Amino acid sequence: MYVLRRLVTALAVAWLAISLAFVALRWAPGDAVDATMGRAGVPPEDLEARRDELGLNDPVWRQYGAYLGGIVRGEWGESLVSGQPVREMIAQSIGATAVLALSALTVAVVLGISLGIVAGVSSWAGLRYGAEALASLALSTPIYWTATLVIYLFTVVLDVLPGVGGRGVRYLILPACVLGFHTAGSIAQVTASSVRQAAGQDFVWTARAKGLPGLDVLDHILRVGLLPIVAVVALQFGFLLGGTVITEMIFVRQGLGRVLLTAVDTRDYPVIQGVVAFSALVYSLINALADVLYRLIDPRLEGAS
Amino acid sequence: MIARGVIPRITDRRGVRMRRIVALALLGVIVMAVMGAPWLARYGPRETAPDDQFQRPSADHLFGTDLLGRDVYSRVLYGGRHTLSLALLTAAITLLPGLGIGLVAGSAGGWIDRGLMAFMDALLAIPSLVTALALVALVGSGSAEIALAVGIAGVPAYARVTRAAVLAVRARPFIDSARAIGTRYPGLLQRYILPNAAAPLVAFAGVTLSWAILNSAALTFLGYGGDITSPDWGVMLADGRQAFRTAPWAAFAPGAALSLTVFAIHLLAGSFRAQPG
Repeated sequence: MYVLRRLVTALAVAWLAISLAFVALRWAPGDAVDATMGRAGVPPEDLEARRDELGLNDPVWRQYGAYLGGIVRGEWGESLVSGQPVREMIAQSIGATAVLALSALTVAVVLGISLGIVAGVSSWAGLRYGAEALASLALSTPIYWTATLVIYLFTVVLDVLPGVGGRGVRYLILPACVLGFHTAGSIAQVTASSVRQAAGQDFVWTARAKGLPGLDVLDHILRVGLLPIVAVVALQFGFLLGGTVITEMIFVRQGLGRVLLTAVDTRDYPVIQGVVAFSALVYSLINALADVLYRLIDPRLEGAS
Repeated sequence: MIARGVIPRITDRRGVRMRRIVALALLGVIVMAVMGAPWLARYGPRETAPDDQFQRPSADHLFGTDLLGRDVYSRVLYGGRHTLSLALLTAAITLLPGLGIGLVAGSAGGWIDRGLMAFMDALLAIPSLVTALALVALVGSGSAEIALAVGIAGVPAYARVTRAAVLAVRARPFIDSARAIGTRYPGLLQRYILPNAAAPLVAFAGVTLSWAILNSAALTFLGYGGDITSPDWGVMLADGRQAFRTAPWAAFAPGAALSLTVFAIHLLAGSFRAQPG
C-alpha cells in the first residue's frame, strides 16, 4: 500500500517537473518551425501550414495535452537538428551513462563510507582529521579539475591507463573514479556524523563493556547509523546524473550528458526537454525506491508516515 | 581502530575553533589577493605575449604563462574577481528567493506550504546542472545569464532547508510561550524563529556559496560565459586543459585556487554547523 502511494507521489512530482519543462520551452525564442524551415528560407505561408500540421497554432492547453499524451505514449518529439526521435536518442545513450553513473556510485559508496567511518570513529585523532580533510577536499574539487589531474597522472606520468574516448572497462576506470571521488565527499561527511552520533549511544558502551571486538562494535554502530547514509546515497543519484554531463564531455564518452550538451549548443529544445523530463522521471522513481528501502532497513518508520 | 567512547566535547570545541581560524585565514588571504589584483598582478590579465608562450614558472612569471603568453599568476588574481563575483551573484539569486519561499512555506503551513513544496520538489527532481544547462539554452550565454541559470537551479534546495529550519524552531516550547504572551507574525519570525534558525541557515548558505562557485565555474568551463578571453578560473581551466601535457601549470593555478577557496568555505560552513545551538 505504502509502495503504491509513494509511486503515485513520485509520478506526480515527475509530472510537475515535466510541466515546468513544457512551460519553460514556451518561452524559448522561435519555435520548431522557425528553427528548422525558417532558417532555410521557406516562404511564410508554408511555415504557417507546417505550424497547423504540427499543432503549433492550437491553444496552449491543447498543445500541453498533446505533449503529455505524447510522453505517456513514448513519443517525445524529434530533434530539430537531426530529425531523429528524442526517445531514440535517449535510448541509445542511456546505457553508457547508466554504466558510468553506477560504477561511479560504487566507487563513491565504498570510498565514502570507509572514509566516513574513519573520520567518525577512528581512535587516532590524526587519522580522523586526515579522513575528514580528504572528504572536504573531494567535495571542494570540481570534476573538471580532478579529471584533468588524473588524466595527466595516469596517462602521461604513469602511463598505465588510457585517457579519453574508447570503450571497455579500461576506459571506464578513470571517469568512474573521478565522478565517484567527488560524490564520496558528501557520503563520507554524512557517514561520519551518523556513526559519531550512533557511537555515543549507551548500547555501544554495553557492547564494549562485554568485551566485543572492535569490528563487531562497528557492526552495531553501522546498523543504527545506516539510514542517513542510504538517504544521502539516494540523493547523490541526482548529482551523478548531472555530473556525468561534465565527465562524459572531458573523457569524450558517449552518453546522455553529451546529448544534452550538444542540444544546448544547438538550441535543440525538444531534445533538452526530453532529457529534462527523462531525468526527472528517473530521479523521482529512484527516490521513491529509496523511501521504500528505508522501511525495510528501519521498520520503526512504519508507524510514522 | 574505533574510538574508546564519545569524542570528548572539549576537543570537539577546540577543533571547531581551529577549523574556523584556518578557514578564515585562508579566506582572508584569498579575498585580499583577489581584491588587490591591480596592485599584486605584474601583467594585465588579457596582455598577450606570443613569444613567451608556455613559459615555465619563474621569478618573472610565478605560475608560468599560457598558450598566448599571458601571465598565469596575474590571470588567476583577476580571474578570482570574475569567478567569485559571479559566484556571489549566483548565490544571491539562490538565497533570496530560497529564503523567502522557505520562510513562507514554513510559517504558513497548509495548502500554501504544500503547493510551494510540490513546486520545489519538482525542480529538485531535475539534476541542478541539467536545470542550469536547460536555462542557459533559454536565456543564452554570458555571465549574468549563468548566474541566473545556476542561481535558479539552487533555489529549491535552499527553500527546503529554510522550511525545515523554521519548522524545527516552531516545534519548540518557547514559541508557544511567545504566542501566549501575544507575539504574532511577523514579530514571531523576526524575534524568535529567525535567530534560532540562523545556525543551519548560515551553514547552508556557505554550502550554497561553494556550490555556486563550482557550478558557475563549471558553466564558464563549458564555454557558456560569453567572453572566452576573460580571466576566469573556469575559462582558464578549460584553456589549460587543452595544453596540460606540455604546460600543466597553466591549468594548475586556477584549479588549485578554485579548490582552496571552496575548501575554506566548506570548512567555515562546517564549523557553524558543528556549533551547538
